[in-house]
Amino acid sequence: MKLLIVEDEKALLDNMLSYLSRGDLVCEYAATFQEAHDKLVSFSYDIVVLDIMLPDGNGLNLLRLMKDCQPEAGVLIISAKNALDDRIAGLELGADDYLTKPFHLPELNARLKAIFRRRKFQGHKEVQFNEIIINTDTHDATVHDSPLTLTLKEYELLVFFIANKNRALTKQSIAEHLWGDHVDLQDSFDFVYQHIKNLRKKITAAGGEDYIKTIYGLGYKWSA
Amino acid sequence: MNLLSKITMLNLLLAFAAFGIGGIRVYQKLRFEVQRETDFSLMESLDEVERIIHSGVPATDLQSRQLTAIPVETATPADLEKVFSDTIAIHPVLKHPEVFRKLSVTRNIDGRFYRFVMMNVVIEQSDIGRISKNVVEDLFVVLGSILLIFNFLISKWLIRPFKVTLEKIKGFHLHSGELPAFPNTSTTEFRQLNAFLTDMLLKIKNDYHALKEFSENASHEIQTPLAVASGKLELLLESPGLDDAQLQLVQDAQQSLSRLSKLGEGLLLLTKIENQEFTLQTPVDFSTILGADLQVFEELAALKNLRFNADIQPDTHVRIDPALAHILIGNLLKNAIRHNVADGWVTVNLDATHLSVKNSGPAPAVPTEQLFGRFQKSSQTGKSLGLGLAIVKKICQVNGWEVHYTYKDGEHEVSVQFQLVRR
Repeated sequence: MKLLIVEDEKALLDNMLSYLSRGDLVCEYAATFQEAHDKLVSFSYDIVVLDIMLPDGNGLNLLRLMKDCQPEAGVLIISAKNALDDRIAGLELGADDYLTKPFHLPELNARLKAIFRRRKFQGHKEVQFNEIIINTDTHDATVHDSPLTLTLKEYELLVFFIANKNRALTKQSIAEHLWGDHVDLQDSFDFVYQHIKNLRKKITAAGGEDYIKTIYGLGYKWSA
Repeated sequence: MNLLSKITMLNLLLAFAAFGIGGIRVYQKLRFEVQRETDFSLMESLDEVERIIHSGVPATDLQSRQLTAIPVETATPADLEKVFSDTIAIHPVLKHPEVFRKLSVTRNIDGRFYRFVMMNVVIEQSDIGRISKNVVEDLFVVLGSILLIFNFLISKWLIRPFKVTLEKIKGFHLHSGELPAFPNTSTTEFRQLNAFLTDMLLKIKNDYHALKEFSENASHEIQTPLAVASGKLELLLESPGLDDAQLQLVQDAQQSLSRLSKLGEGLLLLTKIENQEFTLQTPVDFSTILGADLQVFEELAALKNLRFNADIQPDTHVRIDPALAHILIGNLLKNAIRHNVADGWVTVNLDATHLSVKNSGPAPAVPTEQLFGRFQKSSQTGKSLGLGLAIVKKICQVNGWEVHYTYKDGEHEVSVQFQLVRR
């Protein structure tokens, strides 16, 4: 999966590059509007991560450009501006998703993979991890071909884990993934624990392996 | 009391005092003048009598009620002095006591001394007083009427520019950004006032915008470094060989960063609501919005083992920006779940006129209405930001709604009174 990250903030760009490069992604980057423009015209990408606020132009204009030169690429907008109209403008111009700063890198990773799935595997939206198969269209999951009865949150948790396999996930990033803005509830971490407990139970009961490792004091990791 | 009434009142008061003093002066002058005239006329009469006696008419023939002329043998120099005095005698016509002016003098006519006592009725003091009073009263009434009419006319055109200026300031809102155009006037003071106001309003507006821009930029710009720092910590978590204590440190640092970021967002949101940036004022189906939001929170409530009851009157429309509706509901429900007790309950009611969120919970440490202030928390130990209810209050304010927080016997209730939609 080939990725172009358009971000003028060097430190933030470095973060994304180092985090995403560890996975199965090929990352390129552009720090200015012009640079991004040139790359978008010259090469093709699967997904573009786009910061709307660029020093020499508005990221929304790059979106307009992409409609012509590579309409099949997915777009994830990132911006510190969580103004509603910006989000709507971006989505109307064909962006697939929207992430506001600051965000968790596992969240970015999961969103990118979701976009990739939607864009690339029309009609065949399956994620497989060893004995576990997830159909992202019907929200069904099977272990050794026997169906798992998951709640919506458990399903989301499973997809999030597999998108970030072999990465440490803090309870906080999991909680924010599951409940978004409402996560500052003080005991949301207990909720994460309960959901993970249930998910584990359901997978092992269906004969699957327990891939979720607890990292004491920090969170969890889906280790292959 | 308005300016003109005050000026008129003061003017009338001043006129009253002036006429009072003036009246006394008039009275004194009149009295002095009357006495002088009376004395003068007595002296003329004396000259006349002397002339008559000189022509040979015997003094005894001249006796009358107002004149006695008695021949005397000698006269001391003091007797020769004219002595005026006031006396009371019976008036010849009116037959009752009147004040008379009396002239006593001894005169030498053709070598013989005569003692003359002459009397003349004078205008009474009470008469002089009455006349003075009448005159002053008439003048006062005339002047007062003129003053009132004049003041009324003044208010019509002299004070008018001032009133217009006042109206313009009253209608000025910082958010609208339009500086009021003050009327042209030939009055220096009003011109100065208008110039001063224009300068001041311009400065206030610029300061306000600079401040607004600053707080927005600060909240906005702070998010990038926060994202960077948070990302670095996430990368650090990936590095091998970290022990549990180190992981905990990273986790704590990350939570603080997240808190800081939410704080910035919360304050930015408050500023935005205050700046009327959520201007969509369409009637929205509050029941549907509430129902959708409840689903998210029902789960959180269930995880905390809270009983969740909702009684929502369907098809309840209120006028609010949908984004604000979500924030309002979210904050209320979040509070109800957060500040609850083990195995407690949350009840949500919605009808055409109000939304009420009730929940069980420990008694608040501060008076309930104070909890609407920024960073006012009933418990300092929790992880809440202390902005939730401040945002609720602000949203209600900009929509002209009323919100109240009550606590009674372990039951918290926040109730929002809608401004009814006229359809």
